[in-house]
Amino acid sequence: MANTVIGSSITIDGEISGDEDLVIQGTVKGKISLKESLFVEASASVEADIEVQNVEITGKVTGNIAATDKVELKADCRVVGDVRAPRILIADGASFKGNVDMDVKER
Amino acid sequence: MAATKDFAGTGESTIIGPSILINGKLSGDEDLTVRGRVEGELSLTKTLIVEPSGIVKANVQVRNAIISGVVVGNISATESVELTREGRMVGDINSPRVIIVDGASFRGRVDMGNAEPRPASERPAQRTSPVSRPMVRPAAVVAPVRAPVSVAPSRQPTMVARPPMGKPQPPAAPVIASKGDRETSKPAPPPPPQPVLVGEAGKKKVLLKKKK
Repeated sequence: MANTVIGSSITIDGEISGDEDLVIQGTVKGKISLKESLFVEASASVEADIEVQNVEITGKVTGNIAATDKVELKADCRVVGDVRAPRILIADGASFKGNVDMDVKER
Repeated sequence: MAATKDFAGTGESTIIGPSILINGKLSGDEDLTVRGRVEGELSLTKTLIVEPSGIVKANVQVRNAIISGVVVGNISATESVELTREGRMVGDINSPRVIIVDGASFRGRVDMGNAEPRPASERPAQRTSPVSRPMVRPAAVVAPVRAPVSVAPSRQPTMVARPPMGKPQPPAAPVIASKGDRETSKPAPPPPPQPVLVGEAGKKKVLLKKKK
Protein backbone atom coordinates (compact mmCIF):
# COMPACT_ATOMS: atom_id res chain seq x y z
CA MET A 1 0.00 0.00 0.00
CA ALA A 2 0.96 3.55 0.30
CA ASN A 3 4.39 4.30 1.65
CA THR A 4 3.65 7.73 2.89
CA VAL A 5 1.17 8.56 5.59
CA ILE A 6 0.51 11.98 7.02
CA GLY A 7 -0.93 11.14 10.44
CA SER A 8 -4.00 12.70 11.94
CA SER A 9 -2.18 15.06 14.29
CA ILE A 10 0.21 16.32 11.64
CA THR A 11 -0.06 19.72 10.06
CA ILE A 12 1.86 20.58 6.94
CA ASP A 13 1.96 24.05 5.52
CA GLY A 14 3.78 24.00 2.22
CA GLU A 15 4.35 21.82 -0.77
CA ILE A 16 4.29 18.07 -1.02
CA SER A 17 5.52 16.33 -4.11
CA GLY A 18 6.55 12.83 -4.96
CA ASP A 19 6.27 9.68 -7.00
CA GLU A 20 4.39 7.44 -4.65
CA ASP A 21 1.02 7.00 -3.03
CA LEU A 22 0.18 9.40 -0.26
CA VAL A 23 -2.35 8.97 2.50
CA ILE A 24 -3.45 12.06 4.37
CA GLN A 25 -5.15 11.78 7.73
CA GLY A 26 -4.05 15.15 9.06
CA THR A 27 -4.02 18.71 7.81
CA VAL A 28 -2.25 19.92 4.72
CA LYS A 29 -2.22 23.43 3.34
CA GLY A 30 -0.46 24.49 0.21
CA LYS A 31 0.08 22.29 -2.77
CA ILE A 32 0.19 18.59 -3.45
CA SER A 33 1.60 17.10 -6.61
CA LEU A 34 2.06 13.38 -7.06
CA LYS A 35 2.55 10.99 -9.92
CA GLU A 36 0.56 8.36 -8.08
CA SER A 37 -2.56 8.20 -5.94
CA LEU A 38 -3.67 10.43 -3.17
CA PHE A 39 -6.01 9.28 -0.41
CA VAL A 40 -7.66 11.93 1.69
CA GLU A 41 -9.11 10.05 4.63
CA ALA A 42 -12.07 10.96 6.79
CA SER A 43 -10.03 12.69 9.49
CA ALA A 44 -8.11 14.75 6.97
CA SER A 45 -8.47 18.37 6.10
CA VAL A 46 -6.77 19.61 2.98
CA GLU A 47 -6.60 23.17 1.74
CA ALA A 48 -4.50 22.79 -1.31
CA ASP A 49 -4.30 22.64 -5.03
CA ILE A 50 -3.92 19.03 -5.95
CA GLU A 51 -2.29 17.53 -9.02
CA VAL A 52 -2.19 13.76 -9.03
CA GLN A 53 -2.93 10.70 -11.08
CA ASN A 54 -5.74 9.41 -8.88
CA VAL A 55 -7.39 10.85 -5.87
CA GLU A 56 -9.83 9.31 -3.46
CA ILE A 57 -11.47 11.69 -1.04
CA THR A 58 -13.33 10.75 2.11
CA GLY A 59 -12.40 13.81 4.10
CA LYS A 60 -12.43 17.55 3.53
CA VAL A 61 -10.77 19.23 0.61
CA THR A 62 -10.77 22.88 -0.33
CA GLY A 63 -8.93 23.67 -3.52
CA ASN A 64 -8.71 22.76 -7.14
CA ILE A 65 -8.15 19.16 -8.05
CA ALA A 66 -6.59 18.01 -11.29
CA ALA A 67 -6.09 14.32 -11.90
CA THR A 68 -4.64 12.64 -14.94
CA ASP A 69 -6.74 9.57 -14.36
CA LYS A 70 -9.53 9.67 -11.82
CA VAL A 71 -11.12 11.65 -9.02
CA GLU A 72 -13.37 9.82 -6.61
CA LEU A 73 -15.53 11.69 -4.13
CA LYS A 74 -16.70 9.18 -1.57
CA ALA A 75 -19.67 9.36 0.70
CA ASP A 76 -19.22 11.81 3.59
CA CYS A 77 -16.53 13.79 1.81
CA ARG A 78 -16.74 17.55 1.58
CA VAL A 79 -15.11 19.13 -1.39
CA VAL A 80 -15.05 22.75 -2.46
CA GLY A 81 -13.19 23.59 -5.65
CA ASP A 82 -12.93 22.77 -9.29
CA VAL A 83 -12.34 19.22 -10.34
CA ARG A 84 -10.73 18.29 -13.58
CA ALA A 85 -10.13 14.72 -14.65
CA PRO A 86 -11.10 12.29 -17.41
CA ARG A 87 -13.00 10.20 -14.87
CA ILE A 88 -14.88 11.69 -12.00
CA LEU A 89 -17.00 9.69 -9.58
CA ILE A 90 -19.26 11.27 -7.03
CA ALA A 91 -20.80 8.88 -4.57
CA ASP A 92 -24.15 9.20 -2.91
CA GLY A 93 -23.72 11.24 0.27
CA ALA A 94 -20.78 13.23 -0.97
CA SER A 95 -20.90 16.98 -0.62
CA PHE A 96 -19.36 18.94 -3.41
CA LYS A 97 -19.33 22.49 -4.65
CA GLY A 98 -17.42 23.57 -7.73
CA ASN A 99 -16.95 23.00 -11.40
CA VAL A 100 -16.45 19.65 -12.97
CA ASP A 101 -14.47 19.23 -16.13
CA MET A 102 -14.10 15.81 -17.68
CA ASP A 103 -13.09 17.10 -21.04
CA VAL A 104 -9.40 16.60 -20.47
CA LYS A 105 -7.23 15.83 -23.44
CA GLU A 106 -5.50 12.53 -23.15
CA ARG A 107 -1.82 12.76 -22.52
CA MET B 1 -14.58 3.50 7.46
CA ALA B 2 -13.70 0.97 10.11
CA ALA B 3 -10.40 0.32 8.48
CA THR B 4 -9.66 4.02 8.39
CA LYS B 5 -10.39 4.45 12.05
CA ASP B 6 -8.21 1.55 13.04
CA PHE B 7 -5.42 2.91 10.99
CA ALA B 8 -5.68 6.32 12.51
CA GLY B 9 -6.03 4.97 16.03
CA THR B 10 -3.22 2.47 16.11
CA GLY B 11 -0.96 4.12 13.61
CA GLU B 12 0.23 6.95 15.77
CA SER B 13 2.95 7.53 13.30
CA THR B 14 3.47 9.40 10.12
CA ILE B 15 5.69 8.22 7.35
CA ILE B 16 7.17 10.33 4.62
CA GLY B 17 8.04 7.89 1.85
CA PRO B 18 11.32 7.86 -0.02
CA SER B 19 10.09 9.69 -3.12
CA ILE B 20 8.18 12.36 -1.24
CA LEU B 21 9.33 15.93 -0.90
CA ILE B 22 7.69 18.23 1.59
CA ASN B 23 8.61 21.85 1.45
CA GLY B 24 7.25 24.12 4.14
CA LYS B 25 6.11 23.84 7.72
CA LEU B 26 5.35 20.53 9.30
CA SER B 27 4.03 20.18 12.82
CA GLY B 28 2.29 17.51 14.80
CA ASP B 29 1.79 15.47 17.93
CA GLU B 30 2.90 12.07 16.79
CA ASP B 31 5.97 10.19 15.70
CA LEU B 32 7.26 11.04 12.28
CA THR B 33 9.42 8.83 10.14
CA VAL B 34 11.19 10.46 7.24
CA ARG B 35 12.38 8.31 4.37
CA GLY B 36 12.10 11.09 1.82
CA ARG B 37 12.84 14.78 2.03
CA VAL B 38 11.53 17.45 4.33
CA GLU B 39 12.58 21.05 3.92
CA GLY B 40 11.58 24.07 5.94
CA GLU B 41 10.44 23.80 9.51
CA LEU B 42 9.58 20.75 11.50
CA SER B 43 8.09 20.68 14.97
CA LEU B 44 6.74 17.68 16.79
CA THR B 45 5.81 16.88 20.36
CA LYS B 46 7.07 13.35 19.86
CA THR B 47 9.85 11.55 18.07
CA LEU B 48 11.39 12.30 14.73
CA ILE B 49 13.06 9.38 13.00
CA VAL B 50 15.16 10.13 9.99
CA GLU B 51 15.86 6.87 8.23
CA PRO B 52 18.96 6.26 6.11
CA SER B 53 17.16 7.36 2.95
CA GLY B 54 15.72 10.40 4.66
CA ILE B 55 16.90 13.96 4.20
CA VAL B 56 15.81 16.79 6.43
CA LYS B 57 16.85 20.32 5.65
CA ALA B 58 15.00 22.15 8.32
CA ASN B 59 15.02 23.70 11.72
CA VAL B 60 13.70 20.96 13.89
CA GLN B 61 11.94 21.13 17.24
CA VAL B 62 11.01 17.78 18.72
CA ARG B 63 11.04 15.75 21.89
CA ASN B 64 13.33 13.04 20.59
CA ALA B 65 15.24 12.74 17.37
CA ILE B 66 16.87 9.62 16.00
CA ILE B 67 18.93 10.34 12.97
CA SER B 68 20.13 7.66 10.61
CA GLY B 69 19.87 9.80 7.51
CA VAL B 70 20.91 13.33 6.72
CA VAL B 71 19.96 16.44 8.63
CA VAL B 72 21.02 19.91 7.68
CA GLY B 73 19.76 22.46 10.14
CA ASN B 74 19.44 22.99 13.85
CA ILE B 75 17.74 20.54 16.12
CA SER B 76 16.35 21.47 19.47
CA ALA B 77 14.99 18.55 21.42
CA THR B 78 13.38 18.56 24.86
CA GLU B 79 14.65 15.08 25.62
CA SER B 80 17.28 13.60 23.38
CA VAL B 81 19.02 13.60 20.05
CA GLU B 82 20.69 10.47 18.78
CA LEU B 83 22.97 10.28 15.79
CA THR B 84 23.27 6.67 14.77
CA ARG B 85 26.06 5.02 12.85
CA GLU B 86 24.56 6.05 9.56
CA GLY B 87 23.55 9.50 10.66
CA ARG B 88 25.03 12.59 9.13
CA MET B 89 24.28 16.03 10.38
CA VAL B 90 25.38 19.60 9.93
CA GLY B 91 23.91 22.07 12.36
CA ASP B 92 23.55 22.79 16.05
CA ILE B 93 22.03 20.48 18.59
CA ASN B 94 20.32 21.79 21.68
CA SER B 95 19.17 19.00 23.93
CA PRO B 96 19.72 17.72 27.48
CA ARG B 97 20.80 14.35 26.12
CA VAL B 98 22.90 14.03 23.02
CA ILE B 99 24.12 10.68 21.78
CA ILE B 100 26.59 10.43 18.95
CA VAL B 101 27.51 6.93 18.00
CA ASP B 102 30.76 5.78 16.44
CA GLY B 103 30.44 6.12 12.69
CA ALA B 104 28.12 9.10 12.77
CA SER B 105 29.25 12.27 11.13
CA PHE B 106 28.44 15.61 12.67
CA ARG B 107 29.50 19.19 12.32
CA GLY B 108 28.06 21.85 14.54
CA ARG B 109 27.59 22.87 18.12
CA VAL B 110 26.19 20.87 20.94
CA ASP B 111 24.48 22.49 23.88
CA MET B 112 23.23 20.30 26.68
CA GLY B 113 22.32 23.37 28.66
CA ASN B 114 23.68 22.43 32.11
CA ALA B 115 27.31 23.54 32.20
CA GLU B 116 26.80 27.08 33.49
CA PRO B 117 25.83 26.95 37.19
CA ARG B 118 29.23 25.94 38.64
CA PRO B 119 31.43 28.53 36.96
CA ALA B 120 28.97 31.26 37.84
CA SER B 121 29.24 30.54 41.58
CA GLU B 122 33.03 30.44 41.48
CA ARG B 123 33.50 33.69 39.69
CA PRO B 124 31.74 35.99 42.17
CA ALA B 125 33.99 34.92 45.03
CA GLN B 126 37.10 35.72 43.05
CA ARG B 127 35.83 39.06 41.96
CA THR B 128 35.09 40.35 45.46
CA SER B 129 38.65 40.16 46.66
CA PRO B 130 40.21 42.02 43.72
CA VAL B 131 37.72 44.84 44.11
CA SER B 132 38.94 45.74 47.58
CA ARG B 133 42.58 45.77 46.54
CA PRO B 134 42.43 48.58 44.02
CA MET B 135 41.52 51.02 46.77
CA VAL B 136 44.71 50.31 48.66
CA ARG B 137 47.02 50.22 45.69
CA PRO B 138 46.58 53.80 44.46
CA ALA B 139 47.86 55.09 47.72
CA ALA B 140 50.86 52.85 47.56
CA VAL B 141 51.71 54.14 44.11
CA VAL B 142 51.78 57.74 45.27
CA ALA B 143 53.91 56.97 48.26
CA PRO B 144 55.38 53.54 48.21
CA VAL B 145 57.00 54.02 51.55
CA ARG B 146 53.67 54.43 53.24
CA ALA B 147 52.08 51.30 52.06
CA PRO B 148 52.78 49.67 55.38
CA VAL B 149 51.61 52.76 57.25
CA SER B 150 48.31 52.85 55.44
CA VAL B 151 47.30 49.86 57.46
CA ALA B 152 46.30 52.24 60.24
CA PRO B 153 43.57 54.45 58.78
CA SER B 154 42.97 56.56 61.90
CA ARG B 155 46.32 58.28 61.67
CA GLN B 156 46.06 59.21 58.02
CA PRO B 157 43.04 61.48 58.39
CA THR B 158 44.77 63.66 60.92
CA MET B 159 47.50 64.52 58.51
CA VAL B 160 45.09 65.27 55.74
CA ALA B 161 44.04 68.51 57.29
CA ARG B 162 47.47 70.01 57.23
CA PRO B 163 49.74 68.62 54.68
CA PRO B 164 51.77 71.81 54.23
CA MET B 165 51.58 72.90 57.83
CA GLY B 166 51.96 69.42 59.09
CA LYS B 167 54.36 69.63 61.93
CA PRO B 168 54.64 67.81 65.18
CA GLN B 169 51.27 67.23 66.65
CA PRO B 170 50.31 64.70 69.22
CA PRO B 171 48.90 61.67 67.41
CA ALA B 172 45.90 61.33 69.70
CA ALA B 173 44.75 64.95 69.43
CA PRO B 174 44.91 65.12 65.64
CA VAL B 175 42.52 62.26 65.35
CA ILE B 176 39.77 64.15 67.11
CA ALA B 177 40.43 67.39 65.31
CA SER B 178 40.78 65.72 61.99
CA LYS B 179 37.07 65.82 61.24
CA GLY B 180 36.82 69.53 61.74
CA ASP B 181 39.98 70.11 59.81
CA ARG B 182 38.74 68.20 56.86
CA GLU B 183 35.61 70.24 56.59
CA THR B 184 37.47 73.50 56.72
CA SER B 185 40.23 72.39 54.43
CA LYS B 186 39.59 73.68 50.91
CA PRO B 187 41.02 70.80 48.91
CA ALA B 188 39.36 68.22 51.11
CA PRO B 189 37.93 65.70 48.64
CA PRO B 190 34.60 64.32 49.76
CA PRO B 191 34.84 60.80 48.34
CA PRO B 192 36.40 58.17 50.58
CA PRO B 193 39.13 57.09 48.19
CA GLN B 194 40.64 60.54 47.94
CA PRO B 195 41.13 60.98 51.66
CA VAL B 196 43.43 58.03 51.49
CA LEU B 197 45.57 59.81 48.94
CA VAL B 198 45.73 62.95 50.98
CA GLY B 199 46.51 60.90 53.97
CA GLU B 200 49.50 59.57 52.18
CA ALA B 201 50.99 62.97 51.87
CA GLY B 202 50.30 63.49 55.51
CA LYS B 203 51.60 60.09 56.28
CA LYS B 204 55.06 60.97 55.17
CA LYS B 205 55.11 63.65 57.74
CA VAL B 206 53.47 61.42 60.20
CA LEU B 207 56.13 58.87 59.73
CA LEU B 208 58.70 61.48 60.51
CA LYS B 209 56.84 62.40 63.61
CA LYS B 210 56.59 58.83 64.67
CA LYS B 211 60.23 58.33 64.13
CA LYS B 212 60.96 61.32 66.24
